[in-house]
Amino acid sequence: MLKKSFSLLLVTALIVVLAACGKGSEAVKDGNKKVTLKIIHWQQENINNYIKEFNKKFEEKYPDVQVEYTTVPADSTYDQLMQTRMNAGSSGDADIIPLKFSFVGAPQEWSKGAADPMWKQWIDGGLIADLSDQAFIKNYSPTDVKNAMTYKDKVYGVNMGKVALTGLFYNKEIFEKYNLAVPTTWDELVHVMKVLKDNSVEPIGFGGKDVWPINLAVQGLQASIHDDQLEYIKGLWTGKTKLTDPVQLEVLEKTQILMNNAIGGFMGIDYGTLPSLFATGRVAMIADGTWDATTIQTANPEMKFGYFPIPGSNDPAKNKNLAGKYDMTWMVLEKSPNKDYAIKWLEMLSEKQNYTDFVNAAGFLPTQPDVRISSEFVNEIQPSLENFKLSWDQLFINRKNVGQYIKDASVHAEFLAPAGPLKTPLELAQKSQADWDAAAPK
Amino acid sequence: MYPFGKGAARLMPYLLLSIPVLLYLLLGFGPSMVTVLFSFTDASGVPGQSWNFVGFENYTTFFTSSDSGDRIASIGRSLYFAVAVVVIQNAVGLFMAILINKKLKGDVFYRAVFFLPVVLGVTVSGLIWQLIANPLGGPAQAMMNFFGTSSNFFGDYDIAFELIIFVQIWMYMGYSMTIFLAGLQSIPNDLYEAGYMDGASGWKAFKNITFPMIAPSFTVNMLLSIIGALQTFDIIYVLTGGKFNTTTLAFDVYATAFGSGTADYGLASAVAMIQFLFVFTVSMIALYYLRRREVEM
Repeated sequence: MLKKSFSLLLVTALIVVLAACGKGSEAVKDGNKKVTLKIIHWQQENINNYIKEFNKKFEEKYPDVQVEYTTVPADSTYDQLMQTRMNAGSSGDADIIPLKFSFVGAPQEWSKGAADPMWKQWIDGGLIADLSDQAFIKNYSPTDVKNAMTYKDKVYGVNMGKVALTGLFYNKEIFEKYNLAVPTTWDELVHVMKVLKDNSVEPIGFGGKDVWPINLAVQGLQASIHDDQLEYIKGLWTGKTKLTDPVQLEVLEKTQILMNNAIGGFMGIDYGTLPSLFATGRVAMIADGTWDATTIQTANPEMKFGYFPIPGSNDPAKNKNLAGKYDMTWMVLEKSPNKDYAIKWLEMLSEKQNYTDFVNAAGFLPTQPDVRISSEFVNEIQPSLENFKLSWDQLFINRKNVGQYIKDASVHAEFLAPAGPLKTPLELAQKSQADWDAAAPK
Repeated sequence: MYPFGKGAARLMPYLLLSIPVLLYLLLGFGPSMVTVLFSFTDASGVPGQSWNFVGFENYTTFFTSSDSGDRIASIGRSLYFAVAVVVIQNAVGLFMAILINKKLKGDVFYRAVFFLPVVLGVTVSGLIWQLIANPLGGPAQAMMNFFGTSSNFFGDYDIAFELIIFVQIWMYMGYSMTIFLAGLQSIPNDLYEAGYMDGASGWKAFKNITFPMIAPSFTVNMLLSIIGALQTFDIIYVLTGGKFNTTTLAFDVYATAFGSGTADYGLASAVAMIQFLFVFTVSMIALYYLRRREVEM
């Protein structure tokens, strides 16, 4: 008898569990009558800390809301989290989701047959809330709203700021010690590397194991060597330009020179250890984005460092400006059960004071006008930001099903010696062009 | 005779068994069937977006699109991986099992040590080898420096894949060893004594007594390691993330479904189907030969 009732209990329990799957998270609301606002994010310590504090402030202002803030590693883990939470749809697994960049990469009229990025599929599928009529959008500068938050003339996101990624961090003390000035031309950079090497200082560090950090340096060279990156990219689609053109070969040649001057074993160093490698003085320069300035500062608060655009050209005027991207764009889910609160959250974050605190914590360049930046670092690089341009990866649109030499980030210096198996820039350029041609829409 | 009683109570075992069957149908078989279905559609993985049947288009894409070269290379790599792992892992496992079977002092200790990586799991094993191969002060690099050279280890096109094979073998050799050990311990000692009388010892005894007697464990080990090796995805993900020419077919399934910024569930499902057929065919061929060997003796 006991056995029988036990197994019956088991079966009932199972049925309840199975049945509960379909119900979603209604139970949360009943418990303490609080609304749970769910926000996901990737791990970036300084930003996470600020958002956590901000969430407390938000909960004070709206006592019936409880914010659930989930963070995961910034690599593909985050992309997957976004995708699964988005797929959960109206069951309310997320209310606010930030993109790692802005609305870039949508196929243009010159890129027929290119794949749609995720964000575009989401917006087209009616999953993202239209924020065009929200008053707080007016807090942001109109150009940035147009460039980063708008798609098909409607505002679907709130972009929190720009970052530059085409420069090198340099250790000021090491530069002083060997009487080195910040290089403004390619020849000067070569000289700097030579002097450092002669004095047995490792000139450059790359996070080669993750591959994309090398690409930051490549993009630095591209931004200064190409006269007009967008024209060149358009030309690739129409056949007017080729990946084997002298300009692009020059980019690869110079990348190879940078890699030949890099610290030994740089292909085994992951991106996460790059800041500490630099902060402990083991390398004089690293290729990294401005967002990591706070990480370096935390790793070694005593350290004096700066940031300069990689001078790919011998014409200082072409090297003057940094390139980068619009970082982090918040999106509200259209089918979210807490859409009102999600918009209130963005509204409060967009208030002048809160936004100012945010950019200062994040080290971003503001997308709101007249924001006071307290970071010495950001103020110092301000001159290189006056004519801020978009970096190659924000402009490039790839073809579908392309081969490995042009896939994703489009330039793959990791195949080039000393990092990879290809000896010469020409070989890599030819393979890239071949992959690009093979993927041409039929 | 009737542990659950008579009458209606006799149905109890069926009722209880129906729970796992139901769970399996719901969580295992169902999704698999959906994968089959998806592989013939252009489903994007974006909720609310319509999808259409496209016939064999995804399969054609796999074999004829411009990155097919990379995909076919990854099939080749899967085979290379499987052959290396199956041969070395079982050879090493058998060798260790024979040594431990010699009733050494402290054989429990050896057993535990060799089996430990299996218990640790992929992430921990991956982390251990990452730390060992760390180019900034890791012991492996220090050793290389001692000989006046250096390496990028998991960031090196020439050896990254071989290093993954090595880690895979290191992780699962204890597993093979345990199965072989079970087989070895089931061989009655009389056989060896009789063999000894007939002049069979050492290699001869191994060839004519041990090896035929452990045929069942051999079959189990071969099959498990073939299937395991062909499905390997996790250790590659942990160690290189598929970079530096370390993508296998199983990893390609993951990369297609979740890798780049655009989701393409249709194509990813087709890749998964190809992966399934590939593993199925290889293991069926292997099973056929292994079973025949068992019967012959």
